[in-house]
Amino acid sequence: MGLLVLIPVSAFLVVLQTAVLPFFELLDGRADLVLLLVVAWALTGRLVQAMVLGLVAGLLLDLLSGVPLGVSALALIAAANVATLAQGRLWRAHQFAALGGVLLATGVYYAILGLAVLLIHPGTDLVFGLARVVLPATVLNLLLAIPAMQLAGSLERTLYPPKVAL
Amino acid sequence: MPRFSPRALITASLLLLALSVLILSQAGYLRPVEGLALRPLAALQGAIAPRLAALRDLASSPGDVATLRGRNAELEAEVARLQQEVITLREQAAEVDTLAALLNFARGAPQNRYVASRVIGSDTSPFLRALWIDAGTDDGLARGMPVVNQAGLVGRIIEVYPSASRLALITDPEEAVNVRLQDSRVDGVTSAQPNGELRIDLIDQDAEVVPGELVLTSGLGGNYPAQIPVGQVISVRRRDFEVFQQAVITPSVDFEDLEILLVVTSFAPLTTQPGP
Repeated sequence: MGLLVLIPVSAFLVVLQTAVLPFFELLDGRADLVLLLVVAWALTGRLVQAMVLGLVAGLLLDLLSGVPLGVSALALIAAANVATLAQGRLWRAHQFAALGGVLLATGVYYAILGLAVLLIHPGTDLVFGLARVVLPATVLNLLLAIPAMQLAGSLERTLYPPKVAL
Repeated sequence: MPRFSPRALITASLLLLALSVLILSQAGYLRPVEGLALRPLAALQGAIAPRLAALRDLASSPGDVATLRGRNAELEAEVARLQQEVITLREQAAEVDTLAALLNFARGAPQNRYVASRVIGSDTSPFLRALWIDAGTDDGLARGMPVVNQAGLVGRIIEVYPSASRLALITDPEEAVNVRLQDSRVDGVTSAQPNGELRIDLIDQDAEVVPGELVLTSGLGGNYPAQIPVGQVISVRRRDFEVFQQAVITPSVDFEDLEILLVVTSFAPLTTQPGP
């Protein structure tokens, strides 16, 4: 049920990320809406769904980018895992503590993407990429993390309302 | 056999799946599937992107308007500056033309010496036809010196100061110039009328003066050098009962468009006034 809703949402976010976000860049970095959706969904406690979503959304992302098909999927699955390393307990302790999960997830996501880019284009200046792309993107992701998690939490409660024992 | 948690197994499966996709894709086996999957995604992108771009333009339009206004102001200032430059260049071009013409005129009478001066104003009295020029005794000018331009006689210096002089135009009612009609070879004296008309009086009644005849200074009286163009006859008035006939002339000089003039400094006018 959740994936039936989340996959179209992720497709919309993929389009948004390619069509609109280039106009809202910080240096050369952009917010990663799909990553935020996957991580936020993982932090709601539905990791498996988040990883499947990461696989599908990653493939969609790669279809619209020059990165080999599957790289973003790998990165998103890994990011969802990293974000929930402490089984969500630590991040759920406080809303702002979840920012640590987003930070870690962003790091892993870009590490995998960077590795792939380095394999395709060995001459890529990684330091420049770190300064101009990764760090600004991390800042933007952290800024959007709280609203993303609140939206994900609301969606999760709508799709999976808590059972009430009568 | 080690036991794996379900989470690890699912993660490993999904990672393996993604890795398989990556390998198959790199090997080129997924190209048809990629094309198929890209089609709806591209359609969605094509449908959404223009609308989102329109929203983005709408959101950024106030900033654009401010930028455009600023740019417009900059361009208007630039246009004003360029117009000023064009005017200055046109003025300089006209000045060069005038100076070239004056140079030609001066070459025509190499025996004379000239001082070029610029007209800096006209007489404040509307009843006097006089001009101020920016040369005076410091430049070697003296009272009585004739003033010409490339077209002909303009007038003579009547007041002189160290750095400026006042000259009376030949159209001033007080001025009289001894002239000679080029073809009929008769002499006369110009007299300016209050309405600005320039006439030649004292023309011999027997002379055959015809319109179009050129009028030059005669040099008689010693006020002006000879052979300077003054004007051209446009009409002749001849009455049998009068001793002399008259001719109306149009001055060769356009007195409304005087900018740079030549003062003939080598000419010393004769004077009946006692010396100092």
